[in-house]
Amino acid sequence: MKNFFANLSTNKKFALIAFILGIIALFAGNPYGGGTIKVNEKELALSTINNSDKVTVTDLADWIIQGKADFELVDLRSQEKYNEYAIPNAQCIPIAQLPESDLLRNQKIIFYSDDDVAASQAWFIFKSKGYKGVYILDGGLNAWKEKVLFPKAPINAGKAELAKFEKAKEVSKYFGGQAQTDSTLSESKPSIQLPTSNVGTPKSGSTPPKKKKREGC
Amino acid sequence: MTSLTKKFSHAFEKDEGHVHIEIEAKPYSNPYLVGIGLGLVLLASFVIMGRGLGASGALSTLVASGVNAIAPDHASHNPFYSEYLGDGTTNPLKDWLIFQVIGVLVGGFLSGTISHRVKKGIEKGPHISTKMRLIYAFVGGGLLGWGAKLARGCMSGQALTGGAVLNLGSWAFMMMVFAGGYGAAYFMRRQWI
Amino acid sequence: MNAPFFKFDYFNTDVSLIFAFIIGIAFGIALERGGFGRATILAAQFYFTNMRVLKVMFTAIVTAMLGLFYLSVIGFLDLSLIYLTTTNMLPMVVGGLVAGVGFVIGGYCPGTSMVAVATGKIDAMVYVLGMMFGIFVFGEMFPSIESFFNSSEMGSVTLPQYFNMSYGLVVFLVVLMALGAFAAAEWGERKMAAKKSEANP
Repeated sequence: MKNFFANLSTNKKFALIAFILGIIALFAGNPYGGGTIKVNEKELALSTINNSDKVTVTDLADWIIQGKADFELVDLRSQEKYNEYAIPNAQCIPIAQLPESDLLRNQKIIFYSDDDVAASQAWFIFKSKGYKGVYILDGGLNAWKEKVLFPKAPINAGKAELAKFEKAKEVSKYFGGQAQTDSTLSESKPSIQLPTSNVGTPKSGSTPPKKKKREGC
Repeated sequence: MTSLTKKFSHAFEKDEGHVHIEIEAKPYSNPYLVGIGLGLVLLASFVIMGRGLGASGALSTLVASGVNAIAPDHASHNPFYSEYLGDGTTNPLKDWLIFQVIGVLVGGFLSGTISHRVKKGIEKGPHISTKMRLIYAFVGGGLLGWGAKLARGCMSGQALTGGAVLNLGSWAFMMMVFAGGYGAAYFMRRQWI
Repeated sequence: MNAPFFKFDYFNTDVSLIFAFIIGIAFGIALERGGFGRATILAAQFYFTNMRVLKVMFTAIVTAMLGLFYLSVIGFLDLSLIYLTTTNMLPMVVGGLVAGVGFVIGGYCPGTSMVAVATGKIDAMVYVLGMMFGIFVFGEMFPSIESFFNSSEMGSVTLPQYFNMSYGLVVFLVVLMALGAFAAAEWGERKMAAKKSEANP
């Protein structure tokens, strides 16, 4: 066998190698799969400890108002819940459909669901698949409602806290929510109407989405 | 490298008045080996940059910049030019393809020098005048430039790069280039054979 | 999974230009070694006397394709991040035909003309001027042919997706096709050489 190979001309050797590689390709599997999963647990643990894998709802609200679009916001809940209410600019990818999503490994991706659990699971799946910039919306949609849409006035607040609340009021108005100035109001919570449509078109002069650069001829 | 030093020593010999023998151009390499080399260059481009090779894009940027320099209003209103000019935040000539094509010029010159193949001349068959050949070169270049732009890329950008990533349109383009070439070859035979 | 490096921000745009230059040099050397700096060799492809263009091009495609496939399968490279030109079937077919005719008339394609310019071919310099003129004409015509340019849009689609075959199967078929083409090219060249020596012994 060795002799046979050695006796071939250079060109035929290359042809044979190409043919063998072609045959192996038939059984080698799907190139889009990403291969074996390798988890760097130390890195994962570290990012969990410093909270570097989390985005707070107030930060997210600021980004949306500023019109930042260099990230993908992913709603992991079901389609019905998404239709009911979703954070502006979010796309709906129920967690079961995540493997078929067309999210790219070099994108900044922020996951959220009602609470942290589903987002954390998705975060882990994506981290282990080699996605670089994956984040969890801290507290999920519950925190979003509580802190962004319906912020409560602080009781016995100092000046700084009041100023902060003033800002929160503005933010909540932007997203179609309602700040809770009266503590009694918060008891009638079921009556609060969630904003129906995706309000909040970004202001002009905002950072454009990561532009697809021309890469062809 | 040895051939480069040979060339230098050759130049010195000439200075000293020695008998000067023309160094013959070396024959071209085995096409399959060249193909593997070219494939590895292309693969390196994919791995490092996530994109393939190109050539006509650089010329398009040059043309767009030229038009922009002469008639900026005209260029900015034409979506074809403005795509190559970018959003104005960076110099359009600071482009990946431009630098790559400059590299091609340097690489071609280096390789040609080492193998003694850099020689001023005109490439043509024996039965055609120089003037006709140059006219054909201009017309052919014009057609290729126009066609490559319509097809979103040239042989490097479409056929080679797109072929390797199994792009549907690139394979269609490649087949059509061969079809067009073989179809027109008969009428052009006086130029080449 | 950390390639393509640029898409994962391993280095910035300025550094990418240095890579562009280096990759370009290697590209230029490969083209020159292949004999692509000479229009007579390139044009010989269309008269079946010298099939170097086909051999070099298909070997390069097969090499890069196999490399991409296996690097992706082992998880080193993310294939979905490799740039894919969108397919617009009609303009591509028409553009390919025009480019093919231009190829045989002009004797070069854009990349090879650069190498020919670098090795002192005057016809290549004229060819490059012609190409820039062609691009200029296209640019001036663009508003009126824009709708055709954007017609039959199919998005970024690969052969495996279009024919609904596995990626590996298409890789295998392309390898087979290339090997078949090489065998035919070698046979054809021998045949043409024999005919030539018969004609003028």
